[in-house]
Amino acid sequence: MMKRIRVGMMSFAHMHAGSYASCLEKMPQVELVGVADEDDARGRAAAEAHNTDYYKSYDSLLKQNLDGVVICSENYRHLEMTEMAAAAGADILCEKPISTNADDARKMIDLCRQAKVRLQTAFPCRFSPAVAQVRDIVREGRLGEIVAVKATNRGRMPGGWFVDSRLSGGGAIIDHTVHVADLLRWYTGAEAIEVYAEAGTMFNDIEAEDAGLLTISYDNGIFATLDTSWSRPKSFPTWGDVYMEFTGTEGVAGVDAFIQRLDHYSDENMSYGWAGWGSNTDMGLIRDWVDCLGSDREPSITGEDGLRALEVALAAYRSIASGKPECV
Amino acid sequence: MGGVHAGHYDALPDSRVMAVLDIRLEAAERLAESYSASAYDNMEKMLAEEDIDIVSITTPTPYHKKCVLTAAAAGKHIFCEKPIAMTVEDGLEMTEACRKAGVAFMVGHVLRYFPEYAAAKAMIDKGAVGKVGMVSTSRGGSFPQASGDWYADKSKSGGLVLDMIIHDFDWLRWSLGDVIRVYAKGLVEKAGEHKDYALVTLRFANGAIAHVEGTWMRPDGFKTCLEVAGDKGLITFNNDDSAPIKLAFTGSGGAGNAVAVPNSPLAEEDDPYRLEIADFLKAIKSEEEPPISGEDAVEALKISLAVLESISTGQPVEVLR
Repeated sequence: MMKRIRVGMMSFAHMHAGSYASCLEKMPQVELVGVADEDDARGRAAAEAHNTDYYKSYDSLLKQNLDGVVICSENYRHLEMTEMAAAAGADILCEKPISTNADDARKMIDLCRQAKVRLQTAFPCRFSPAVAQVRDIVREGRLGEIVAVKATNRGRMPGGWFVDSRLSGGGAIIDHTVHVADLLRWYTGAEAIEVYAEAGTMFNDIEAEDAGLLTISYDNGIFATLDTSWSRPKSFPTWGDVYMEFTGTEGVAGVDAFIQRLDHYSDENMSYGWAGWGSNTDMGLIRDWVDCLGSDREPSITGEDGLRALEVALAAYRSIASGKPECV
Repeated sequence: MGGVHAGHYDALPDSRVMAVLDIRLEAAERLAESYSASAYDNMEKMLAEEDIDIVSITTPTPYHKKCVLTAAAAGKHIFCEKPIAMTVEDGLEMTEACRKAGVAFMVGHVLRYFPEYAAAKAMIDKGAVGKVGMVSTSRGGSFPQASGDWYADKSKSGGLVLDMIIHDFDWLRWSLGDVIRVYAKGLVEKAGEHKDYALVTLRFANGAIAHVEGTWMRPDGFKTCLEVAGDKGLITFNNDDSAPIKLAFTGSGGAGNAVAVPNSPLAEEDDPYRLEIADFLKAIKSEEEPPISGEDAVEALKISLAVLESISTGQPVEVLR
């Protein structure tokens, strides 16, 4: 029998950890070795839910001869987690944003290179079949020359450490800029050069911003707007959206990554909700990452990709402070 | 747009079309014929010969000022299409001329009379979404066709920023109050022929942010969207989803090439253009200020001009009240 790929989960602070663990569990070539989390209750519950072992300390998990780890800690701890994993020689899939600041992100990239471990940023939206198909349409030039992109990545306010900027790096802007910022680079090959942003705390009683509207200029002349707001009310039928509309000289294309759904009206609690049936983007991400672990290739989404996307969010925060467009 | 106005004056009980003016006399004659009205190609002559109370102005924007000043000097009440003018100075001069002449002056920011936008405003006012934080609007379709292709001449039309999404700017200002700052990107400075597109950020004095899209590059039909997010709820609208009729016919080019055209009909009395003209007539009869003043139109124009300035400078632009 083929040797199984040994994967560990470092922290369940980010809610995406549960989805990644479920995807890993489904893959016969993967052995989910364990979950490490300093939060005893959270770690034990996660380990139990995913039929694996709980480790109180990250060190003890990392001694299990792992091929790879998934880091889903609070954003500000990504560097610390990466240092530990790289020292143990484990390849890394790090939740987005790669970090709260560019210095930490650069350190992560450098130390992984030095330790010869591969660092991947988790951008699952690239694995939406609809997102990938429209990318082909754009890259084949079927819309002519792209002029502009109108994008939204909105959601409900996630609460918890997400709204504590010391732990997360900010609010809605750092949380919801990086997905679309990554997709636009991936689609067009263009780099963001300037960002203007307006922001505020509009919808919730929190300190971090929950409304953000970015205008991003690219080195090839494209401009884009991105609404990153946590503006979906609690009664909204789903968590939020990832939507991009491309306007080109020969046509337009819209892609709504999570629109494939059933509408569900329930008298149980007088609710209306969406039941999604689209392909699981996390599964695509994990399948690709596991394929990378089992081969010699570079990750399809690198630490640099994570940094480039983060830089757009950081420029937005500088713009809010200065009231001017800021260079990326 | 002249034909639209004429049809509503004709249909309303208190007004009828007496004369039609156009620099192309044959165009004036064609429309005048429907209403047994006189046709002119000279405004002074029309004002001298006809016993009229109201002048409705539907020329390309650069001619608004001359028409308004001429009509005001003749003591006529004036309904003028939007945008009021190409410059703030012209808009203020027109407004002042009407005030001095003691004539009613209303500008056709008709979006306020579209039932979906009127209803959204009423819901905002009633607190249906709580305190408004973020508003998103979108408007546009393919490049508009008009006589002399005047939309393609930005010096005449101002492109979609001055001609089309000024509707949204007016509605937003009406609903959320004054705009303090704008930032925008668009094609105005580098537009190819028959293409225009803009993405606009507006910041309001009350803290709210609006995200406005305008496009004349959408080949799949005219679309409008509105979304208002507040701290207690969310209103969303798009014209495709709320259109009760969707029609598609097998095209002559073979099966599968027909595009479904959504249609959202209203009772005649709910037609937005009917409503704005009826309101104008009501204001004249009751000697009240018309609901959309020259000042309102100038404020909307200021937003559009600030957007155009931001597009050309790449910087945020303050909107001065």
